Amino acid sequence: MSGQSDPLVVKDLTVAYRRRGGVDNVVVAGVDMALRRGEIMGLAGESGCGKSTTALAAIGYRAPGVRILTGTSALDGTDLLGLSARQLRGFWGNRLSYVAQNATTALNPAIRIGEQIAQPLRLHLGLKGDTLRARQVELLGQVHIPAPESALRRYPHQFSGGQQQRIAIAIAIACGPEVLILDEPTTGLDVTTQSRISALLRELVTKTGVATLYVSHDLALLSTVADRLAVMYAGEIVEQGPVEHFLAGPSHPYTRALLDSVPSARERRAVSGIPGRPPLRVVLDACAFAPRCDLVVEACTQSSIELVAQADGSAVRCLRANERSQRSVRTLEQVSTTEGGALLDVRAISARYPGATAQVLSDVTFTVASGETLGVVGESGSGKSTLLRCIAGLHPPISGEVAFDGQMLAAKAVRRPREIRGRMQIVFQNPDTSLNPRQSVAQLVGRPLRLFRDDVSRGDEERVVLELLDQVQLPGDILHRYPSELSGGQKQRVNLARAFAAKPRVLLCDEVTSALDVSVQATVIEVIAAIAAETGTSVVFVSHDLAVVRTIAHRAVVMKDGRIVEQGPTEQLFRSPEQPYTQELLAAIPDFHRGTRAS
Amino acid sequence: MSSSPPAVKETFAAKPPSVARAVLRSPEGLTGVILGAILLVIIVFGPMFAPYPPDQIGAGLPLQLPSSEHLMGTDQLGRDVFSRWLNGGRSVILAPLASVAIALVLGGFFGLLAAYKGGAIDEVVTRIFDVFIILPPLVLVLVLIAGFGSTTPVLIITVALVFAPRMGRVIRGAAQGVVTSDYVASAQARGERTGAILFREILPNIAAPTIADTALRITYAIIFIATLNFLGLGLQPPASDWGLMVAEYRGFIAVQPWATIWPAVGIAALSVSFNLVADSISGHITKTGSHKS
Repeated sequence: MSGQSDPLVVKDLTVAYRRRGGVDNVVVAGVDMALRRGEIMGLAGESGCGKSTTALAAIGYRAPGVRILTGTSALDGTDLLGLSARQLRGFWGNRLSYVAQNATTALNPAIRIGEQIAQPLRLHLGLKGDTLRARQVELLGQVHIPAPESALRRYPHQFSGGQQQRIAIAIAIACGPEVLILDEPTTGLDVTTQSRISALLRELVTKTGVATLYVSHDLALLSTVADRLAVMYAGEIVEQGPVEHFLAGPSHPYTRALLDSVPSARERRAVSGIPGRPPLRVVLDACAFAPRCDLVVEACTQSSIELVAQADGSAVRCLRANERSQRSVRTLEQVSTTEGGALLDVRAISARYPGATAQVLSDVTFTVASGETLGVVGESGSGKSTLLRCIAGLHPPISGEVAFDGQMLAAKAVRRPREIRGRMQIVFQNPDTSLNPRQSVAQLVGRPLRLFRDDVSRGDEERVVLELLDQVQLPGDILHRYPSELSGGQKQRVNLARAFAAKPRVLLCDEVTSALDVSVQATVIEVIAAIAAETGTSVVFVSHDLAVVRTIAHRAVVMKDGRIVEQGPTEQLFRSPEQPYTQELLAAIPDFHRGTRAS
Repeated sequence: MSSSPPAVKETFAAKPPSVARAVLRSPEGLTGVILGAILLVIIVFGPMFAPYPPDQIGAGLPLQLPSSEHLMGTDQLGRDVFSRWLNGGRSVILAPLASVAIALVLGGFFGLLAAYKGGAIDEVVTRIFDVFIILPPLVLVLVLIAGFGSTTPVLIITVALVFAPRMGRVIRGAAQGVVTSDYVASAQARGERTGAILFREILPNIAAPTIADTALRITYAIIFIATLNFLGLGLQPPASDWGLMVAEYRGFIAVQPWATIWPAVGIAALSVSFNLVADSISGHITKTGSHKS
């Protein structure tokens, strides 16, 4: 499927990380890929599957410790992998461009935007004077930066995250490259910003014909922006083909399982995580997905599986492609909200950051019933996290009150009675910073037992901790491990176990899944929903991801600029949003199942 | 290509080795420990093996070069330099250790408190640190010694006062990066007491910079106290102390260099061993500890 005329043709690419002790750790094996003119190729996969390594190796970049074992990557017939670093510099930023995930760190904060755009133009095209200036302005105009003339004189921090990413794209396309590689270009940006950048990319690709590789963990996003897709697992492409093939129903069990774990904002349905963990390196002589696959047969583990072309132009690496397992996707029944008094009553909370005059929260009022899950959605800066911190007693509001079970709460957690502190538990976004790295899992989960659970004696603590770990689907043998030895998903489940250890009546979740891969996110959502339903715990679930909120919440609150824009039962809110802002948010979400194409 | 089907196993990083083991495994740690152990044996047990009382005048002829009778020769009063050298390490190591320990407790407490409480408390504490830091150390020491006399406790406390604000600043800076962590917020939400948060949540996570800084300060303190002794502000003759010995004997360096060289070597070796151990500890903690996002 790779014609000679394709701008970038990657053949049999195998990449390894050099390890101490001599044995190389093969992380990418036998990747074949062709980028076509005027097309966006999407490369999807979970963290650690080798997608970024593949993208970087394809342009000839070798990070320290990376060895390219086999393969070629030909730009118009020139094998980039055979070039010296010096020769490659003539290609990079000129005929081949790369856009990194985080524009905030990819742009030099000390250099004006104009100069950063000028650098490749001067270096590769030798532009100067008025021609240079005209091209700078033209480029900023192309990526829709308002007032390009004056923007040239500004520094990166004077632009928003989305604009910074646009500027990074402008720099990448400055010399009119034939190939553009984007590594998670919109991860971490708000959905509305993300959809605008996707639209911009589509526009640029159509206009300039640049062959584009778009690397992302977000299959739904890729299905809206790419023409063709490749899904990687454990360093191999397991399925590739035109987007239509994937929309019609992917063939590989992994792709299907991955889609089952993607929450949808268009319909309310349960998500299911993929059990087990992906291997960290290429698995030779067997199907890498076999241990986690429910269609596995003996032959899967006896030899390596080839990528086989199918009738619709796709290719799949599976012996039982197209066979469907009996695994059905449940649809969540709409649990009727428990009637009765509000358990948590937030009244007219206003807050600001210390020393700042602008308000982060203005007059926020809502209630949470016993056993109810309330979703709080909003883009970054909408004040949703601050709201949670106010409720938890970590950020004293300037006015307003929080009542718990009819009892007024002090603004600071320390001043609240012990029973209330135990009854309200908070879990944070980043699993890497919310666990003390110097404490073992047993210590971390055991602490709330000692503080809040008089019914658990010291001798019983370990048994209770093990029960809690089991509830969050963690094996007991991690008891004496430290956070640095756990994966992100495991850490977040330790956080949940610690929160549930106190037997809370309200669980406050601050973006608890946003740092996780979708299949892991699905597991965490399952765990929260299951334990909350079983114990009747109310949950306040803050997230920027509307699909996640639709999956888990009974009722939802939409926030913008510190105010509640709209609130109501989740289904009603998603089906017929009343406020323009909610409508805009919903429209911006990429959804695999509908395949809305940004154009 | 391997022929056996590879097993897909959950791979966890091995449990990190204990600090002590890690230090002994690293070349610089091992060197530091061995050097330190040799010095410690000399300092602790040395005096028992001194062939002469350290301040016995006329144990030999004055200013003799090393011989089988006097391994390091004799000084201008005919005292046995080897006996004085064996006795002279104790004050060199004890005074700096005591000073730095006091400085660590003082600076650590106020540094942590300032970082954790922030606002006005932080402002007041850092200003007080600044006031102490702008005073030249020697001037501070001179004033205090002039006022309270030149005794060992005064020496230790004045040196502690010189070091406390400097160590406090380092600890405050390190702690500032940790106080905003979610695990600290999580402890606050549990309603943990300030003491528990400082000592359970924050302190273990700033151990690496703190240990590295403390070890470096011990090195400085060894040299600083040796300097004070050299300048005649610390211990007074006839006490045997490596710093004092260097001061006393440097006039005779052309005639009997070993009387100056050996105490100087002792001070240098002590500093080097502390530094090596500190480096390997902080290296180990950075490798296994809190990982930067």
